Amino acid sequence: MTCGINTYQSLKKWKDEQILNFRSDAYALNEFHDRVMKTVFEIALDRMNNEKLPSWKLAWFATGSGGRKEQGFLSDQDHGLVYEAEDPEAATYFLKLGEEIAEGLETVGYPYCEGKVMSSNPIWCRPLVEWKEQISDWMDEESWQTMRNLHIFYDSRALAGEKEYIGELKSLIHNRINNNPNLLSRLMETSMHMKNAVGPLGQLLPEEKGTHQGELDLKYTAFIPYVNAIRLLAIKEGIIETSTIARLEKLQDMKDYGEEMNRYKNNFATLLKWRLLTYKQTDTYDDTHFLHLKSLTKRERNELKSILRDGKKLHQFVIRTVEKGVV
Amino acid sequence: MDATFLMNSLWVMLGAILVIFMLGGFIMLEAGSTRMKNAGHIAGKTIFTFGLASLVFWAVGFGFIFGDNANFLVGLSNFFYSGAELEGLSLSSPVFFVFQLAFAGIAITIALGGFAERAKLSVYLIFTILFSAIVYPVVAHWIWGGGWLAEHGKQDFAGSTVVHLTGAMAALAATILLKPRIGKFNKDGSANNIYGHNQVYTALGVLILWVGWFGFNAGSTLSVEDGFFGFVALNTNLAAGAGAVAALIISWMVMGKSDVPTMLNGALAGLVAITASCAFVDTWASVVIGLVAGILVFYSVRFFEKRKIDDPIYALSVHGAAGIWGTLSTGFFATPELATVGKPGLFYGGGFEQLGVQFMGVAVSGLYAFAVSFIILAVAKKLMGGLRVTEEEEIMGLDLSEHGSYGYPEVFMAEENKRLSS
Repeated sequence: MTCGINTYQSLKKWKDEQILNFRSDAYALNEFHDRVMKTVFEIALDRMNNEKLPSWKLAWFATGSGGRKEQGFLSDQDHGLVYEAEDPEAATYFLKLGEEIAEGLETVGYPYCEGKVMSSNPIWCRPLVEWKEQISDWMDEESWQTMRNLHIFYDSRALAGEKEYIGELKSLIHNRINNNPNLLSRLMETSMHMKNAVGPLGQLLPEEKGTHQGELDLKYTAFIPYVNAIRLLAIKEGIIETSTIARLEKLQDMKDYGEEMNRYKNNFATLLKWRLLTYKQTDTYDDTHFLHLKSLTKRERNELKSILRDGKKLHQFVIRTVEKGVV
Repeated sequence: MDATFLMNSLWVMLGAILVIFMLGGFIMLEAGSTRMKNAGHIAGKTIFTFGLASLVFWAVGFGFIFGDNANFLVGLSNFFYSGAELEGLSLSSPVFFVFQLAFAGIAITIALGGFAERAKLSVYLIFTILFSAIVYPVVAHWIWGGGWLAEHGKQDFAGSTVVHLTGAMAALAATILLKPRIGKFNKDGSANNIYGHNQVYTALGVLILWVGWFGFNAGSTLSVEDGFFGFVALNTNLAAGAGAVAALIISWMVMGKSDVPTMLNGALAGLVAITASCAFVDTWASVVIGLVAGILVFYSVRFFEKRKIDDPIYALSVHGAAGIWGTLSTGFFATPELATVGKPGLFYGGGFEQLGVQFMGVAVSGLYAFAVSFIILAVAKKLMGGLRVTEEEEIMGLDLSEHGSYGYPEVFMAEENKRLSS
């Protein structure tokens, strides 16, 4: 546990004091988030143990930006639980633990996930056997919602417990895709929407209305398109790394990918850097996705444009690659 | 009675009906572009103010515009018009009266667009009376009633200035004095979108206006002679089409999105602009006039929003900016053959003379309409303890605060009433 911290409140205090030290280093910031989240988990376990100490095996995983190690200063919580035991008593216990964790994360400064991707939700808190069934069902159903669930799950990374559970579950997806490339197509169809940010005259298209007037919505014009595109390639190639940068590094070494991946990697690193640099302490979670265009130099604006244009190229590349693989 | 007289009367009566039906277009346009909680109010007040304006026009408006013994501002006969035949008309005088009344009704409806979603009902009432008595008739007299601008050869075939600009300038005075709706602008000066509740209504409103415009423009020939109304209708339709196309393209080029409200505004701007020039220009010029209007309206909307002027149904841009452009356009495009009033435009060897007249007409008429409307409303604000409903009333909506009922009762009413009325 982090130097004597044993309540959510004291953890929050420590986190708030430390976090701005990571303004220039996205990697270190995410290591820091990991440390905070793991501490939340330990405090939660501790509080549960007042009732009963289970010896059940489990994996607690983060997903979303936490799973990808791409959190900014503020981000909401996305996580789930996989456990071994299959009896009803275990189910009750782990759901309760899930609620405890979610509440703890909330107290420490990670708002609840609006989409309910949290260990307190039975869909994201199951025994390993049921998880396997659920993922199979998701792949069979191929609906918009179940494809979304697969995307979310694919960014999972174990923060505590049995790491291999997550790997085992992801390999179900790889196996299915090897036998049925159409699934990859379905995954693509449900994740390739892109908010356009460069106009036909080559101008940047900031928000027209609202409190973010004149700012660019980085989350939907840049982050999500890059993340989604690279995740698809990762699924296709069986890459189990979760961070977009790490996925790109793996892709770089593969034939058929090559040089461009390096450029995309640099682009994405720049995006992460900008998000940290523009953060103000008064920002809410929504605010952190918007880039003040006025604060950019001419060179930075051009760089941004080329990153956004590259995003489009990357999308085209992914579409071609996936379609090639489908018989 | 000769056949031409009868045919003229029939044609212009049809025009009057079409123009009055444009109110249906305004109801849908305005209600669709605003929120549900104000829908019943907006629809109802449009009918009410047209009724009121009709009475005022009968009592004094018509006499002020077309009466004899005119001074600089107005004519002074034919008050409480009896329906008697007037001299010098080649159509039934009561038909001419109804046609003119319809135009006055459109002008006040445009003006009241600037009041949307926040003015008290009593303000609508007072302003309708005074605008219809002393704002609209003066400008109409100057240009159509033989006044000083008519003597200069000012070209305004169906009223880009007389109807649209006059209405828009009154709307501008109102939006300035009323101030923006709650929630339109943020503390940091940025603007929010207050979405209209039904884009289908808005589009249907535009279509009704578009069709009604054939009465407005082609009806303004006041005769069936040579079938010239067909040419006017042709020009009208071309400009509307060009306005819609230009606005959609410009919104896509600048914002990266093909914005539907902008496109609808573009069609209307094309119609407003061609209103002055429809009888004076060639067809190709109509297309150009419409295209320019479509682009102009897009930038005009952004201009007003930047200046924190809240114009809920874009009256200032559609009727004001496009009205000015339309009036000036004859100064460029009027052809020697078609310029039955005034001179040919700049592009036809007329030099700057006609453009100068058009400019003077727009400037003086616009200023007059703005200044008098502003004074009326500023005085009303003083005397009536404000022009606006209270904040609480604005939030609950004018359907309830001003009328005690709802345009959409099932959405807003208490459970008990919902059960009974659904």
